[in-house]
Amino acid sequence: MKDDEQDLYFVEGIAVPQTPLPGEEPANWGKTAVIGRRQTRVDAYERVSGTAVYPSDVVLPNMLYGALLRCPHAHARVKKVDASAAERMEGVQAVLTGASLGRQVKWPYNEEVATDLFDDRCRFEGEAVAAVAAATPYVARDALREIKVEYEVLPFVADERRSLATGAARIHGAGNRLKADSYKRGDVARGFAEADIVLEEQYRTACEIQAPMELHGCVANWEGDSLTVWESTQGVYAVQAKIADILGLPLSRVRVIGHYMGGGFGSKLQPGKYTVCAALLAKKTGRPVKIFLSREETLLAAGNRPPATMTIKAGVKKDGTLTALQFTGLASSGAYPAGGISLLDWLVRDLYLCANVQSELTDVAINAGPARPFRAPGHPQCAWALEQMMDALAEAAGLDPIDLRLKNIPLVSQGREGAPPYTTTGLAECIRQGAEAFGWREARRRTAAGRKEQGHLRRGVGMGSCLWVVGGGGPPSTVIVKLFADGSVNLNMGASDIGTGTKTVMAMVLAEELGVRPASIQIEHADTGSTQYATPSGGSKTVPTESPAVRSAAIAVKQQLLQMAAGELGSPVENLRYGGEYIEAVDSGKKVKVTGIAALKKQGVVVGIGYRGPNPEGKVVNPFAAQFCEVEVNTRTGEVRIMRFLGAHESGRVMDRLTFDNQVFGGITMGIGLAMTETRILDENRTGKMVNCNWHDYKLPTALDVPTDMVSLPVELRDSEANSTGAKGLGEPVTIPTAAAIANAIYDAVGVRVRQSPADPLTMKRLLAEEAPEVRS
Amino acid sequence: MTVHFSYVRPASLQDAVSQLGSDNALIHAGGTDLLGCLRDEVFPAEKLVSISGLPELRGISKTTDNGLRIGALTTIAEVAAHPLIRESYAALAQGAAAVASPQLRNQGTLGGNLCQKPRCWYYRGEFHCLRKGGNYCYAVNGENQYHCILGGKNCFIVHPSDTAPALLAFGAVLRITGPRGSRSVTLADFHVLPERDVTRETVLEAGEIVTEILLPPASAAMRSSYRKVRARQAWDFALAGVALALELEGGRVRRSRVVLSGAAPIPWRAVEVEKIITGSALESEVIHEAAVAAMTKARPLGKNGYKIPLFQGMLAEELEKMRQVS
Repeated sequence: MKDDEQDLYFVEGIAVPQTPLPGEEPANWGKTAVIGRRQTRVDAYERVSGTAVYPSDVVLPNMLYGALLRCPHAHARVKKVDASAAERMEGVQAVLTGASLGRQVKWPYNEEVATDLFDDRCRFEGEAVAAVAAATPYVARDALREIKVEYEVLPFVADERRSLATGAARIHGAGNRLKADSYKRGDVARGFAEADIVLEEQYRTACEIQAPMELHGCVANWEGDSLTVWESTQGVYAVQAKIADILGLPLSRVRVIGHYMGGGFGSKLQPGKYTVCAALLAKKTGRPVKIFLSREETLLAAGNRPPATMTIKAGVKKDGTLTALQFTGLASSGAYPAGGISLLDWLVRDLYLCANVQSELTDVAINAGPARPFRAPGHPQCAWALEQMMDALAEAAGLDPIDLRLKNIPLVSQGREGAPPYTTTGLAECIRQGAEAFGWREARRRTAAGRKEQGHLRRGVGMGSCLWVVGGGGPPSTVIVKLFADGSVNLNMGASDIGTGTKTVMAMVLAEELGVRPASIQIEHADTGSTQYATPSGGSKTVPTESPAVRSAAIAVKQQLLQMAAGELGSPVENLRYGGEYIEAVDSGKKVKVTGIAALKKQGVVVGIGYRGPNPEGKVVNPFAAQFCEVEVNTRTGEVRIMRFLGAHESGRVMDRLTFDNQVFGGITMGIGLAMTETRILDENRTGKMVNCNWHDYKLPTALDVPTDMVSLPVELRDSEANSTGAKGLGEPVTIPTAAAIANAIYDAVGVRVRQSPADPLTMKRLLAEEAPEVRS
Repeated sequence: MTVHFSYVRPASLQDAVSQLGSDNALIHAGGTDLLGCLRDEVFPAEKLVSISGLPELRGISKTTDNGLRIGALTTIAEVAAHPLIRESYAALAQGAAAVASPQLRNQGTLGGNLCQKPRCWYYRGEFHCLRKGGNYCYAVNGENQYHCILGGKNCFIVHPSDTAPALLAFGAVLRITGPRGSRSVTLADFHVLPERDVTRETVLEAGEIVTEILLPPASAAMRSSYRKVRARQAWDFALAGVALALELEGGRVRRSRVVLSGAAPIPWRAVEVEKIITGSALESEVIHEAAVAAMTKARPLGKNGYKIPLFQGMLAEELEKMRQVS
C-alpha cells in the first residue's frame, strides 16, 4: 500500500476479513493488510503544515480575549477586590470578581469539595481571583494589573512531609489530612518471618508537571441560550458535563469541540476555571471570549504529578521468592483533594507474586496547585520505589534482577477481589525478550568488570518492569461509519485524538475491514454536537475502547451492503464475500461493484453503527512492560548520561507500528524527565511560591537529554479475549518503569541509590560525596 | 494604565548613545535576555534602543597585533563556529557552543552575553529582592541550590555567562563607547561584585555601549578549554564551569588562567589553582592539590554544598585532559 496513490481501494493479496452474519461475533483478525503496518498519520500534513485548527488557533468574529487574575501568595485571604480602575480602561468589556458573581457559581474541586469560583480563601499560588475580557490579550493583561486586591497573607506549608507536623499551617478546617487508604492481604509479619532477607528503604519522587505543548484554554461563544466551547481537551463530553453542571445548563445547550489538541497527559481530562470564566464573560458581553493561559499559569494551576514519599519493607527468600511487601505512601494532592494517592500502591499490590502485602496511603494538603491525573497516575512513583527495592533484594539475594522478577510472575491480578486472571500476561515475556534484545546478561558482566577499574566514567545497566492497572478499555462507545454512493467512507466518533494517533489507528481499522485506503477516510470526531458519546482519551484506553466499536460499525456497513447485493447477485447473503471494491458470490462467481449496487445509489449512503461490547467476564485486561537502559555516570561531576534504552511492551496487537514506537519513545522521554530533570521547587522557607515557575527553570528534558539509541520492542502476544481487535493500552505503561530503570542503572554504575528524584548533578554529587567516597575525585 | 514606551533603531553609534540618554532607556541587541526580562517586569523600560542598525559592531577580524577583534553584535553562533576562534581560542568557541540552545545562539550576541542579567529565580520572579531594591536576598535562607559559593555578599547570584570565563582567561579587553567618548575596560574589571554594588552587574555607565571585544594574540603554546556541567544538556546555565587557558612548555605549565562559571556573582578567577599549577607539571598530586585549593574559600549556602565536590571533580577532570593534550 502506498500512501501517495490516489485510488480509493488498495489490493494487497490479503482478503478483507470475513463479514460475520448479523448477530454473530466477528472472528479475530488473521493476517492483516493494514493493521500492524507503519502508517503515517492521516492528519500529518495538516499538523505539520499548520492548517490544523487547534483550539488556540480559533478566532471568531468580534471575539474578546480574557485573562485571569491569580493569587500571588501560597496561602491568603482576599479581603478586598477593587476592579473599578480596570473596568474604566479603554478596551475592557467585562470584569468578574467574587463580589460580582456572589456565591452563585461554584467550582467543584472534586465530588465532595466545592468552593466559590472566586473564593475569598486562596489556598495555592495561582488560584483565580478575578477575570477580565478585553479587546486584545494585551489590554486584558494590563487590566489585570489595574485590579487592586488586598490580601491577608496566611502561613503556608509547602512540603508534604511537613503537612501533618504539629504547628503546620492549617489549610482546611478539618485539618490537612485529605484522604487515607489501606490494603491488606495475607500477613506481612508472617511473610517477614519466612524471609531470609528483609530490606526497608524510603524513596521520594518530586512533583512533576504535565507541561503539554499547547497551553490550557478555550474559546466560548453563546448563540442565544446555547454555549459552544472550543477547548483544548482530552474529552469533549467530560468538559460538556462539568460545564453544564457548573452553569446549570442542560447538556443539550453545551456543545464542546476539540478536534485538535496539543497534548494533555491527563491534565486536560476536565475543563478549568478559565472555561467557566470564558463562558461567563461571553455571556456578559454577548461576544465570544477566548482564554488561553500563560505557561506560568499552567505550571501553577493546571495539574501535576503529586510529590510522593514512599517506604517499602520487603522480604525475600534466598531463592528469590517474595514473602512480604509493606508499603507506606505519603503524597499530596496539593491544596484540594485531587487523587494524591490514587493508585500509588498498585504495583506493590499487583505486579509481583506475593502472598503478604500491606499498604497504608495518606493524602495530605499543601499550599500548591491541585494535582491532576498525569500519565499513569501513581505508577511511575510506585515503580521508582518498588523497582529499586527489587533491585536491592536481588543484590542481597545474589540474584540477577531479571531472575528475581521472573521468579515472581503472577498469572492473576492479586490486588483485585477474587484474584481474577489476566487475559494475557506478558510480564515474563517482556523481561525475557527485552533482556535478550538488550544484551542484558552480557552488559551486566561488562559493567561488573568495569567497576573494578579506577576510571571516573562508570557504565551501568538497569531495568524495571511494570503493568498498568487498566488499559483494556471498555464500553461505552458508539461509532458511526458512513459509506457514500461513490464508495468513500466517513468515520464519526466522539473520542479525541490527543496526539497519540487515534484517528490514524481508527482509519486503519476501517481500512482493514472495508478495503479502502486509510488516507481516503474522512474523520469527524471530538464534538459533542455532531459525534457520539465517548469517554475522555485517558487511561491508555482509547484504542482498545474505540477500535472494536469502529470495527463493529464497519461490519454493520458491510452487512447492509451484502444484503443489498444479495438480490442483485441472486445469491443468499451467506454466500457473498465483501472484497472492498467488489462483492462476489462464491457459488456463482458473479461480482458486483459496491458502487454499482442499485440500492446504494438510490439511498446515497449506508450507515453502520458500532458499539463497544463488554470486556471478558471475570478477567483482567492489562498491558505489561519491561524497560532496560545503560547509563554512564561521571563520578567527578555527578553527571549521568543515558546511553541507550529499550522498551519491551506487551500491549496486545500492534495496531500501527509507527504510533506504537512513537509512544514508546515518548514515554521513555517523559520518564527521563521524571528521573533526571523535572521537579517543582517551592520556596519552602519564606513564601511558598514556586521559584522555578517558568519554561527554563522547570526543566523538561531536551533532545540532548534523550539517547539516540532507543529501541521499541513489541511483545505481541495474541489476546483473543480482550476485545475484537486484540489491542491493549500503551500510552501509560511506556513511562512507568523508565525512571526506576535509570535509578537501577545508576546503582549498577556507582553503587549509589538515588532514592529521591531527580538524579541531576545536584543530587548525584551530594550522594557520591556522602555514600561513595571511594569514587570521589 | 498608560505606559510610555518607544523603540528606536539609530543608524549611528553616536545617535545610539544619545538615544540612551533618556530615563529607563535600554540597549536592545539580540534581545534574548532583554525581552524576557521586560515580559517578566524584572526592571522598567521606557525606551529600547536597538543597535541592530550598526553593522560596524558586527564581525570577527584579526587585529594588527595579531590578536582578535570581535564586534559586540556578533552572534554567539558565529563565535562558536569561527575558524580563527576554534583554532586559537578554543575555550571561547566551546563556551559559545555551550550557551543556551541553537535558536538562542543564532539570536544572542557576544556583547549581550557579557551584559546579561542574573538568572537567580528570585531576581527573575515575583520577589522584591535586594538587587531589585528590596530589603533582602531571598536566596540566603531560600532555594539556593543554583546560587554562588564564592564571592557572595548580601546577594548570591551566579554570573550566567559561558563566554565570559573564556574571555577572562584570555585577558580580553572591552571597548566601550558612551556620552563621554570611548574607553577600554579589561574584562577582569568589567563585572561588579554585589559587595561593591548590589544593583548592578557591570561597570557600564548610563548611555554606554560595549562595541567590541579585543583578544590579545594567542601564544602557540596556549591550550584552552571550557567545560560546563549542567542539569540539562541544552538551554541550561552552568551548575559549574571552568575555562582553562594554559601555556605549556616542556610538560610544565608556564602560565595559566583558570576561570570558573557557576561559582560566583562574576566570572571567577581561581587564582589558588593558577598558583599551584603554574610552574608545575600536571601530575596527579598537583591536580588534586589544585582542585582542593580551588574551593578553600568557598562558603556554601544551605542547598548548594554539592558545588564544592562538583567543582573539585570537574577541575580534576579538566586538568587531566589538559595533561593528555600537552
